[in-house]
Amino acid sequence: MSVRALWVVSHEKGESGKVRFSRRFPTVEFRAKSLAGTQYVAVPEDRVIPQLLLTELGLVDPDKSYVEARDDCARQHRSPAVELRLDGPGGRTLWPVLTVTQGVLILACLPLVEAPPVPRPPLPSLASVSQGLALLSGLQDFLCGPGGKPESDVLASRLAALPSVLLQVCPLGRPLDTPPPAGSVPASVAPSPGGAQKQPAWKAGVHRGRAVVSVALTEKVRSMQYSKNSQQDIWDVYGMVMCKCEVEGVLPNVIVTLTLPHNGSPLQDILVHPCVTSLDASLLTACSVDENDGSAFSGPYKFPFSPPLELFRLCSYTSQVPVPPILGSYKLKAEENHLKVNVVLKLHESVKNSFEYCDAHIPFFNQNLMGSVEVKVSSGQLEVSKEKNLLVWVLGQKFPKSREATLEGTVHFSGTVAGPTDPLCSGLTAYAKLHFRVPDLTLSGCCVDQHSVQVYSSAKPRIVTTRELVSSEYYIWNSTGDTPVSSGLMVL
Amino acid sequence: MTFADPWDQKISAFLLSPSQFLATTTCESFLAELLHELRNDKASDQLKILIVSLLLEHPTILCPSSSVGEETALELLSVFSHTPQKSIILKCNVMLAITNVIICTSCLANHTKMAEDWLDFLFQMIQDTNDYRCGLSHQPIRATACECLREMETCSPGLLSQKLEALHLLKQQETTVLHQSYCMLYTLGLKNAIRILTTQKNVTDLEFKSILGGNEGFAWKSNQLGLTLLPINMMVHVPRLPPGLDCKELKSIMSSLLEESYLQTPISQSALLRELVEVVAMVPGLSPTLFKSQLLRLFGTADVSLMHATLFMKDTFTDSLFTAEDENFLLKRLVGTAQHPLLRISEKLFCMECILHFPENRPISSSGEESLPVLVTPRLAASLHPTVFNDSATMLCRLNLLCLVHLEADEGEADKGISYLLEHIMALLKIIDNDGSREVVVTSFRALFIFLMHFNGMKELSEKVIDKLCDMYSKHSRLAPNLIGLANRIQEHLNDPVWSVKLLIGLQKCIMEMPPLQLTIHNLSWHLKVLKRVAKEGQITQRNTIYLLLNILINSNLCERGNWQVGNAVLAVCRNLLEHPSIDQVFIELADLLQYISVHYDDTDIKEHARFYYTLLTNLSWEKLTGILAKGLDGGRAKERSHSAIMAENEGIASNLTVHKTNRHVLQLIKVQGEASQRSLESSEMLETTGEAKNWLEVYQGQFQTSGFGSEVTLRYSLTHAKDTDHLFDKVFTICLHFEMKDSNYAKVNDIHVPCVFRDRKPPEVQVKLKPFQPYPTTLCVSAIFTTQDGRSWHSRLPDVSVSFSEIFLPLPLPPNTSCECKEQVFDRIWEAAASGNPDKSAISLFCFKTGDESLTDLIKTHFQGYLITDQQSKRFWKVLFFLPPTCHVLLKITQAEDAIQVSIATDNWELLPFVNSYLQNITDHCSTTVTDG
Repeated sequence: MSVRALWVVSHEKGESGKVRFSRRFPTVEFRAKSLAGTQYVAVPEDRVIPQLLLTELGLVDPDKSYVEARDDCARQHRSPAVELRLDGPGGRTLWPVLTVTQGVLILACLPLVEAPPVPRPPLPSLASVSQGLALLSGLQDFLCGPGGKPESDVLASRLAALPSVLLQVCPLGRPLDTPPPAGSVPASVAPSPGGAQKQPAWKAGVHRGRAVVSVALTEKVRSMQYSKNSQQDIWDVYGMVMCKCEVEGVLPNVIVTLTLPHNGSPLQDILVHPCVTSLDASLLTACSVDENDGSAFSGPYKFPFSPPLELFRLCSYTSQVPVPPILGSYKLKAEENHLKVNVVLKLHESVKNSFEYCDAHIPFFNQNLMGSVEVKVSSGQLEVSKEKNLLVWVLGQKFPKSREATLEGTVHFSGTVAGPTDPLCSGLTAYAKLHFRVPDLTLSGCCVDQHSVQVYSSAKPRIVTTRELVSSEYYIWNSTGDTPVSSGLMVL
Repeated sequence: MTFADPWDQKISAFLLSPSQFLATTTCESFLAELLHELRNDKASDQLKILIVSLLLEHPTILCPSSSVGEETALELLSVFSHTPQKSIILKCNVMLAITNVIICTSCLANHTKMAEDWLDFLFQMIQDTNDYRCGLSHQPIRATACECLREMETCSPGLLSQKLEALHLLKQQETTVLHQSYCMLYTLGLKNAIRILTTQKNVTDLEFKSILGGNEGFAWKSNQLGLTLLPINMMVHVPRLPPGLDCKELKSIMSSLLEESYLQTPISQSALLRELVEVVAMVPGLSPTLFKSQLLRLFGTADVSLMHATLFMKDTFTDSLFTAEDENFLLKRLVGTAQHPLLRISEKLFCMECILHFPENRPISSSGEESLPVLVTPRLAASLHPTVFNDSATMLCRLNLLCLVHLEADEGEADKGISYLLEHIMALLKIIDNDGSREVVVTSFRALFIFLMHFNGMKELSEKVIDKLCDMYSKHSRLAPNLIGLANRIQEHLNDPVWSVKLLIGLQKCIMEMPPLQLTIHNLSWHLKVLKRVAKEGQITQRNTIYLLLNILINSNLCERGNWQVGNAVLAVCRNLLEHPSIDQVFIELADLLQYISVHYDDTDIKEHARFYYTLLTNLSWEKLTGILAKGLDGGRAKERSHSAIMAENEGIASNLTVHKTNRHVLQLIKVQGEASQRSLESSEMLETTGEAKNWLEVYQGQFQTSGFGSEVTLRYSLTHAKDTDHLFDKVFTICLHFEMKDSNYAKVNDIHVPCVFRDRKPPEVQVKLKPFQPYPTTLCVSAIFTTQDGRSWHSRLPDVSVSFSEIFLPLPLPPNTSCECKEQVFDRIWEAAASGNPDKSAISLFCFKTGDESLTDLIKTHFQGYLITDQQSKRFWKVLFFLPPTCHVLLKITQAEDAIQVSIATDNWELLPFVNSYLQNITDHCSTTVTDG
């Protein structure tokens, strides 16, 4: 359960890759050598690593349309692990190299294969693989932070801190913990001297100061709407409960309870944080891939846990809701040199008409740049971005009383300069994408009652609970054009 | 920072490529330098941590032998004890480095004193539970000590097997965050101890109990397990203790470990679970139901490493822990997890791999290949349908899984499912049609490959795909290489040419039907590529291809333009046509085509080749013709092309001249022994040996004004056959030796041409002229291109040639008739200058060794003869000068003192001193030596 080596490689556009950080674990290499015997392949020097990695990830020679080593159709890139071909095709290979790509960064590690190397063992039979994946995920969070795109100086300082982080979490190639996410160091923590009670390894100290427990429930809704008989509209909801518990004590007990309204549909695919101490079997029974028999357990969902110091995701779930919050229709008609546009959005009556924001983005691809735009909206304002060939319909905080809003008009493409392109949206294949956020609402009806949060601790904490609904990948496709998906798809 | 910067550069250069870095210095001197800096009180902790990191990451490069490893570890230990208490991070790094050095240089395996001491030292350190003695600030050191011990136990299993009681006690006492470290250390020790016990016959209750109560020394001898310890799920036969042992105590230990597992980080928890699973598997007295209490928590976890450990448990215990209901449930959770919107892509891909290798209670096959668990139905897997919105890895992974699902499904259901998948493929191809990016094209062809690998047998389906592909090709001929690649790969992987042949027929037809306007020069090169591939298929008639080519040549201006590349591409098609089995049917047409080219094509090379092909076609039987064209290597590697394939590719002439490769050494260079190699010395006429006293040094230095003066070393080698070469290579001709330098210390060496090497004749001598920029030892990579008697060309590597430091020595570059006085004057002047620190890089050093009178004379004779400036045998005093091109000097004054020989060294480049030292050490090896730095 160890990794042989670890790399952070960057590849800026137009430049060859560069090793920004690397760490080798020679004792693991020593074991690898004796485990693999004659099949042993040594880890190559850092100077050749970027080229090998970029070739496997298809990132070399961007100006050549076909390079066999990069584009061979029989080389299947469908696994979290790639093999590096050290002497070109047919030569020695280094496997399994796990990789994670974020922006210009590629994180990679080489887990130890504790199995006979020939025939190549299946990935799930190797214990080091999931540990390597966890290590890479942790590194990704540490280096990139929540925004995912750190400034170059911030990144440099985080890279410089990596050796001391690895000293703690992976000193000799065996991951002991994941690196702490960037900027997660909680305030007001006192180191915990050894007392009678054992200190968990995932909690560096104990909280000192005012006790506050905050529980934030966020639901995200995705949808693909086609307004066609041949094509079923689809939508789904997934939720997560983020907690931050500033509570005294080595192992304070907290219970958070999620409740559903009467006859609400059960929460499915519940995944919980490792700090949850026990789980009732009934919580886990509902599963989105299963037939629902209606008799499933529908709460209350109790999660007893002992919290870590930092913000963490207590649990996540998916839910099937009967209707999408906003039902849309989008019709495009091509006429000489211009397009007739008609978009209608209807807010479902069960949804609170109080948004933080609600926008519809209507892009036009594979056209020349827009000329005149004669479009009217029944509610909200219209913003036109001619250089992006984009209409942004800002619906604002509220739908009109009728809960229905319309956008209608024509868009001329008189320019001679080509606008943005997209291979999916050719001809009349086009979409409108909705972005909205509704505070204090969940579609599943799930909620965390402030009074249901129980904290077993000496000081009575302040308890804050919030909930919100946020759109994610909410598309309404033009019903007069082809849709870019096969008709059989039932789910996202 | 002024101190640190050159170090930063050095360290990053070393880390980027140790081999290149060490080409400019020796590893001993670099190691000495590192250790020296570590003892420097003025160096910052930060710099020292960087320096330690080199030893930590590359112990075997810096310590090439066990003895060097032991010495280095000792040095590091002294660095550790001299490091101030507050430098915690540095101390931890030094501990890791010592552990790495000890393990990797086999000090641990060989049970050296150092390893023993280090182990005691670490064990001493971890006694300070809860930081009573050293305080909280020392916690990281204790954590590191635990980790070091754990690594040593892993690399030498059983080491801690007699210390389990002590370790258990420590684990119980520890209540800080380090509890996890103690727990893992104890568990690993426990597992290994039991594993060792399973190798014994007739284990008694007492023996079994004694492992838990062990409180003795380190078990150096019990190490019979070796390092190649596989996790037990990998073993055909799980090692087991005999049944009936009293497991009460072990059981309670296991339960408490499991109860407290919750205190560990998820990654460590998963490691702990795996160790415990192995223990239970080895001890029949323990029941897998021990884990029952943890199962629900594990089923619900969002952590992938814990989920993975659960699957390991499932694999090991199958239905003795997991009911059929549990199995079904676990699989459903796995499918749900594989598409969970909140997991990362790599985690979801891994979950899908886990589905394809799901450890079923009743597996149908256990081949380790991908196979679908019987419980995965189309309904269950519906949520994993690929879509065009997926990233490419997810899409391909889902497609592969769904192909398996629908392949297994019942008929009606399968048809529906497969047509969904086909629709998906068509949606992908439509994106390509709309000018999708290169990435989309590549991903779509990979998807096609997966789809066809599963469903190529379904005629209707695969024909639909062919129609679509041909349609796409007619619009986007740039897809030619992708299509050819697909046809090739499908043919290789399925051992069934049918689909590929159909695709190629379709493409041929497509090209025939193209309106002439579409046959532009640019598109034509793609079409010719396709036709060339089509011509390889014996089952496809080629008449249309030939007509088309002739038609194009006659009705366009291609022949007048005389573009070599186009001509070559046309000939490449013809070449494959010549080999076509039904050539008889199109004999006349092909002859016409070749003749037309040989007459009308406005490029001599193309004309000649066309004529050559024409001659082959019209004069040889088909059998002979294909025999010549397909002439492969001995051993039937038919893919190798021979000389007659000279026109087969169109990517430049270089790749056309096919040179065969052999991976074995055919030739080698052997250093010519005997008198010192011939030194190249351009004698300078202007030096007069008579005349009044001159400043000889000025005269000497004046010579360097002439460019190229004294800049070369000539080394002589004989070029011979390597051992055990094939008889094919007994006589080789027109050999071209090519040299590559492994470092940048030398100028490029010119190729050397040798007419022939015969095995039974005297080997020819070659002179390699080296032009150093820096006179360091180096290695030459040598390769040769040569021709064998049958006229084929070969490329082969020669064994690397290493050039030692002393091989670069030249005598003082003065004309041969220069008097001894002149030489001595020059020697003395250079010495004086070096001693007074001019130039800056000058240095003086001293080397001593002991030897007898006679052997000293011998030594001087063998090693310094050509370099002696004065030889005062009687006074037992010698002056020796080595000139090292381009401008370095190493001067030696050798005197015999009472009890030792003193060698005073002066040089104008101190960077050479390590090499001088190891050179002197080498030649005086049989004597005891002492070195003093000057």
